[in-house]
Amino acid sequence: MRKSSGRPRRRSTGGLLASCGPLSLLGGSFALMAGALATPRASGLMAGAALLALLLPVGCGRGGFPWRRMIAAGLAVASVAWSNWLLATPHSWAVAATAGLRVGLFVVPGVVFAAFVRPAELGDHLAQRLRLPPRPVVAAVVAVQRFERLGQDWADLSDIRRVRGIHDRRSPIRAVGGFAEQALALLVGALRDAAQTAIAVEARGFSRPQRTGVPRTWACPAPWTATDTRLMACCGGVATVSVLTGALIG
Amino acid sequence: MASRRTLAHPAPGGPGAWRGVDLVVAAVFGVAMGVVFIAWDYLLNAPWTALTLAFPPASSLALGVWLLPAVAGGLIVRRPGAALFVELIAGVLEYLLGNPWGPGVLISAVLQGLGAELGFALLRWRRFGPGVAMIAGGLAASLEIVAYEWWSYAAEYAWPWKVAVLGFSVLSGVLLAGLGGHALVRALARAGALDAFGPGAEHAARSDRR
Repeated sequence: MRKSSGRPRRRSTGGLLASCGPLSLLGGSFALMAGALATPRASGLMAGAALLALLLPVGCGRGGFPWRRMIAAGLAVASVAWSNWLLATPHSWAVAATAGLRVGLFVVPGVVFAAFVRPAELGDHLAQRLRLPPRPVVAAVVAVQRFERLGQDWADLSDIRRVRGIHDRRSPIRAVGGFAEQALALLVGALRDAAQTAIAVEARGFSRPQRTGVPRTWACPAPWTATDTRLMACCGGVATVSVLTGALIG
Repeated sequence: MASRRTLAHPAPGGPGAWRGVDLVVAAVFGVAMGVVFIAWDYLLNAPWTALTLAFPPASSLALGVWLLPAVAGGLIVRRPGAALFVELIAGVLEYLLGNPWGPGVLISAVLQGLGAELGFALLRWRRFGPGVAMIAGGLAASLEIVAYEWWSYAAEYAWPWKVAVLGFSVLSGVLLAGLGGHALVRALARAGALDAFGPGAEHAARSDRR
């Protein structure tokens, strides 16, 4: 199936991350995650965190990053540290801080990297480069592109309920019940729409390569560039440094 | 109600023969569940955060909510991989929107999807009643906790607490994701949203019998 738009890829000035493809952003996240979870001691985690503190702003460049996204991640890391203090025996702030740091070491860069992943491009790369089955990938891209419209549908449903006077927030139980009704309405609308979309994409040959063996064509290429290699090398380097430092320095 | 349960409506064309409509509806279902989750977060985030700070394992009692896409997806599409596919879509959506766990959410989605998949596989994608839904929900929760959260978010918990987290999660998976997912799919079928799928066909058969 041909994708709907041949929109040029956005490329901001400066910043390594903005010119990386989705696969290196994902791969780099997972390399950092593996490194953080494999690092034995706090010394290694601190070394990794120090390196990341230097590299991440450089990677973001002048294009910047929506730092508001970091609030939720910061809360998540804090809650990990808190619960690992509360539920450990004996209680130890050092151990809890290490647990928080370990999670933060992959969560913080992961959230930053995710901001640079573009859904349609991710689909192109997953199908063309990783050779994942193309039909599920295309279906997923179609669905993710529905996200904003579904969000609008949710807002419309809220408005309708308010105007008709069935929007009741006086008791929490009724609020939850109303929420469930509204969620069901959204899902019913989404599924009916999806069934129609399925007919539309099938009419344009969505499953044809499956049936006839004619190769599928793609609107956009999915190149792996030197920048992608560089990002992978940086992430692999940070992970290696933190594991080695943790293993060697007690 | 017939006393002898006949075989449920299996997926048309054999379990592995994914149709286009299976893929598109499953994917949109995953994204729509993501929208519902965001709205839910908006409504309940503050009281829930307070509760989980006071007693962190309580957050495990809500885990089942996040397993709903997997269980309901498997119940709707009834093919191997459906639960994993829908849960992955929901996970990728959360990842793209900047969820607080970064790539961790993708690991969770894979494990939760595989766990639910295991539940459906036990009955070879032939039964889709509340029982198999509860098994799928429970297994999805177990795999998430045992294979991932014990070693990441709960790494330093004392063992009794790790076991408590597992217990709460499985309970939540069985009740919220299992029974809740089954009820959700029934409701969607009643509303006529699943006419191309097994639950829709079963609903039609039930209404004919009356």
